[in-house]
Amino acid sequence: MGDLFANLGLGFSIALTFQNLGLAFLGCLVGTLVGVLPGVGPIATIAMLLPITFGLEPVGALIMLAGIYYGAQYGGSTTAILVNIPGEATSVVTTLDGHQMARQGRAGVALGIAAIGSFFAGTVSTVVIAALGAPLTKLALIFGPAEYFSLMVMGLVFAVVLARGSILKAIAMILLGVLLSTVGTDLETGQDRMTFGLSFLSDGIDFAVLAMGIFGIAEILRNLDHTETRDVVHQAIGRLLPNREDFRQSYLPILRGTTIGAILGILPGNGAVLGPFASYTVEKKLAKDPRRFGRGAIEGVAGPEAANNAGAQTSFIPLLTLGIPPNAVMALMVGAMTIHGIVPGPQVMTRNPDLFWGMIASMWVGNLMLLIINLPLVGVWVRLLKVPYHLMFPAILMFCCIGIYSINSLPTDVMFIGLFGIIGYVLLKFGFEPAPLLLGFVLGKLLEENLRRALILSRGSLETFVERPISAGLLAVAALLLVLALLPSIRKGRDEVFVE
Amino acid sequence: MSHPHTAPPERRSWIRSSQNVAGGIFLMAVAALALYLTRELPQGSLRSMGPAMLPDWLAYAVAACGLALLVSGLIKDGDAIEPSALRGPVVVVLAILAFAVTIRPFSLGPVSIPGLGMVVAGPLAIIIGGYATADVRFRPLVILALSLTPFCMLLFGDLLNLPIPVFPQSFANLFPASWSQKAILRATAAVLALAALVIFITGRHRSSSRIDVVDESGIR
Repeated sequence: MGDLFANLGLGFSIALTFQNLGLAFLGCLVGTLVGVLPGVGPIATIAMLLPITFGLEPVGALIMLAGIYYGAQYGGSTTAILVNIPGEATSVVTTLDGHQMARQGRAGVALGIAAIGSFFAGTVSTVVIAALGAPLTKLALIFGPAEYFSLMVMGLVFAVVLARGSILKAIAMILLGVLLSTVGTDLETGQDRMTFGLSFLSDGIDFAVLAMGIFGIAEILRNLDHTETRDVVHQAIGRLLPNREDFRQSYLPILRGTTIGAILGILPGNGAVLGPFASYTVEKKLAKDPRRFGRGAIEGVAGPEAANNAGAQTSFIPLLTLGIPPNAVMALMVGAMTIHGIVPGPQVMTRNPDLFWGMIASMWVGNLMLLIINLPLVGVWVRLLKVPYHLMFPAILMFCCIGIYSINSLPTDVMFIGLFGIIGYVLLKFGFEPAPLLLGFVLGKLLEENLRRALILSRGSLETFVERPISAGLLAVAALLLVLALLPSIRKGRDEVFVE
Repeated sequence: MSHPHTAPPERRSWIRSSQNVAGGIFLMAVAALALYLTRELPQGSLRSMGPAMLPDWLAYAVAACGLALLVSGLIKDGDAIEPSALRGPVVVVLAILAFAVTIRPFSLGPVSIPGLGMVVAGPLAIIIGGYATADVRFRPLVILALSLTPFCMLLFGDLLNLPIPVFPQSFANLFPASWSQKAILRATAAVLALAALVIFITGRHRSSSRIDVVDESGIR
């Protein structure tokens, strides 16, 4: 316990330097902006802004990128409440009751409770990360290639189960993602694979390029298909601070949401997305009068918002302790770390303690900043929502081009975001979700590397994966999950969760 | 989304879900391409895997998913592909290509374009890209291009020192030799921003009523 406080103390001494405070502030501000504007997601933004962090210290760079990430989660709920458009995928649930509250003239209270709930969840999960960091890192050190492989398989199975829509399509997307990750030079034999003889492909497909194409450009194309209907609340926003009655109704949902979100967030395979859905379902089940939900129940905002933020933050755990990015944003963090010469994994904590603890402390600082900058600035964000999309998307387009060009100074990268944009758009048209594809791509290289190493160690015997107890356990969980997800009765329940 | 369940449409059609059929064919095509590209690479053995082993396994698995999807699209009702206009994708890709070929010297066969830098590539991407939607109006796009470009020039070129070409070398030669690259950059940015301001003010004078109308529709 003493260690924990000493470590957090070290973290705060780093996070509270003038420069890092400034970077955290900037990150939160940009993140909120991104979250508020529908059609610009955190993935595309971080990919766009990656070059900006090249000149910074590694700690500062990661603090800023992390700020963008959780700032976007915050901003997303503002849009959800005021405009009934989820700014981010994770704030879909907030539209249900949040927007109804806004229609009843309680927009301020909804925004206030969302911010307070998120701040509470952020505080708790900062402590959770700090507490779990050390033991999980120790666990990671006893992991061999077989265990890593099984863990990633489990993560991918989670991603399949948690993906929306058809399970078959999600599996196909994951496999396609892993397949895409094998493009490029084979690390062991040095032979080019599937490069069409193009030299710039022999390093493989750049993750930032793929992410920006599939999430940035494809999103623009999809939005262009739908004429937007924006439903800004015209009533006054009203008082921001919830009163005693509001607090009485929402403190338990916030506590439960935080717990649910924090646990789901740790799971590799983007568990954070499920947090708000799970929390909403739980609150509805526990409520004395479930009919209030969907008509402006404050619990339906407080719980999911807390779960959302808790999950967003605990999803740093697999990255910081095991070196496995659980979602696409974390994969971009891996990119940022690698640029600065830091290999993510259990060794980060011992080799770069300033980075590890500084980043954790900055999360709490960032959450406090979000609370302070968000509530007074609501007016500014509302005004931003009035920027018509036909002026916004050309700007996004140019930022994407400049951002991706400055990462590697390659015009071919710019062309490839166009290509992947079209592919992503076609996939959306065919009803495929792009998120599992990106996750498969992210884990693909690590997956292949560990599979090969494990097989070399076991002299080609596949039994190694079931003979080693930890690996067998992880695979068993994965198999169980997959079977459960495919059972008709559970499948129906899963669909219901997503329909709500 | 119109529901295929509510109104029983062409029962004769043997495609029950065009989304799934097309998706299945797409997956199988990708798998076939991957298998074709790795046909000459060694598979190796489990003990020492060759470069083609994992890609091939994955390709077979993707193809299997594609087949399953195709079959389900033929025997089970599901979503149809929503029709879409070609305008968006085509114009957006054109804008991206325009940026890619003008940002730095580019040559493809007989065609070669000198490197024009961000000062040309940025506005090109914005103005061409803007035509991806039918709501396009030229003047606001020009204002947007002329104000965002200097912003990006200052941010990426001046503040962050990123190695991104800002203007063509021939343009820099027009300035007195004593001017530094940064000074030229700042002067150019200032001129562009000023031009944006001038167009904004004159445009406002002429069509203030039109802007108000658009603003309203943006809110609702």
